Amino acid sequence: MSVKSVRLKPLTWHPHIAPVSLEEATAEQLEAMKVTPSAKKVSDYVRTLAHDPESYVARTVLFNAIMYAEGGLPRLDRELGALSASIVNGCRYCAVVHARQHSSLTKSDDVVTALYLQQPENLPQREQAIDSFARNLSYTPSKATNEDMTALRAVGLGDAEILDLIHAIAIFGWANRLMHVLGYSSPAA
Amino acid sequence: MDAIDQAAGLLEGDALHALRRRRPEFVGGAEACRAAVLHPRSEHGLGRNLRAALACRIARLNADDELTSEYQTILQNLAPSQELLMLAEGGGLTIEPLATIARHVDLVTLTATEAQADHIRRLEAAGLTNPQIVALSELIAFANFQTRVVAGLRLLRSV
Repeated sequence: MSVKSVRLKPLTWHPHIAPVSLEEATAEQLEAMKVTPSAKKVSDYVRTLAHDPESYVARTVLFNAIMYAEGGLPRLDRELGALSASIVNGCRYCAVVHARQHSSLTKSDDVVTALYLQQPENLPQREQAIDSFARNLSYTPSKATNEDMTALRAVGLGDAEILDLIHAIAIFGWANRLMHVLGYSSPAA
Repeated sequence: MDAIDQAAGLLEGDALHALRRRRPEFVGGAEACRAAVLHPRSEHGLGRNLRAALACRIARLNADDELTSEYQTILQNLAPSQELLMLAEGGGLTIEPLATIARHVDLVTLTATEAQADHIRRLEAAGLTNPQIVALSELIAFANFQTRVVAGLRLLRSV
């Protein structure tokens, strides 16, 4: 194992535009902002996207299905796909959130360390195959190849699991283009 | 058959067409999102024809001929202006706010990692409101989601 280990601290996200204020929100915006489970305090992110409640609601439903649907690809691998995509797309905030999720689910910083130190050769084969596919599919245009698909199959992923992985990577091609474009992050207080 | 099947070349009866239906929440969710960014109930002043032209431009930047053609067809049915046709074809524009919007779409699609606060300031300077900035961001992001799903499905079908 590598000598040093990367442990990431949480970040706070700040919007580049004024979020919707709860006092001035329309009925549709208030309804939309309830979609997230932790409802007590509505985050700046949710209040920013609530400027267009229709797309916010539709995307949240799809995002939750892709990341949390039962069966299929293990949650851990979806988090890895999200993390690798976020690195290519340059969304530091999403990368840290999903790196921390991965570390928490595995109770290890090994995979995150290999990714942050840019040493994919230190990843186990399964993680290497997922990371490589996730990165390649995230470029514009996609650089993913038949070899990536062959590598996924070689480490034991079936069609249904690969379908889940494609969606986890793709939904971060979306989420990263919101979070990184509409705001910036700083160390959490 | 939905827009994703069509672009990925999946026909009813294909194994991959059936596999997608084992995740109905992904299929239905993607269709609902597509409606929310391409022909929403509240357009926020960004018309359907502009939205179709931008989706077409993004599909083109992703080198996706099938999605480009799907959006081109949608656009053709919405009586597009010459400017919107140029926008869809990937050209540079001189009139505002389309010129600024086109540059933003290209930046966020090709090199999202380079986006900064200043790019949002430029949209504001071109006259976009906060709801328009968010709606535009969601449209760009959706089109980039869709191209990745389709690219992935094509590989899954062939290997």
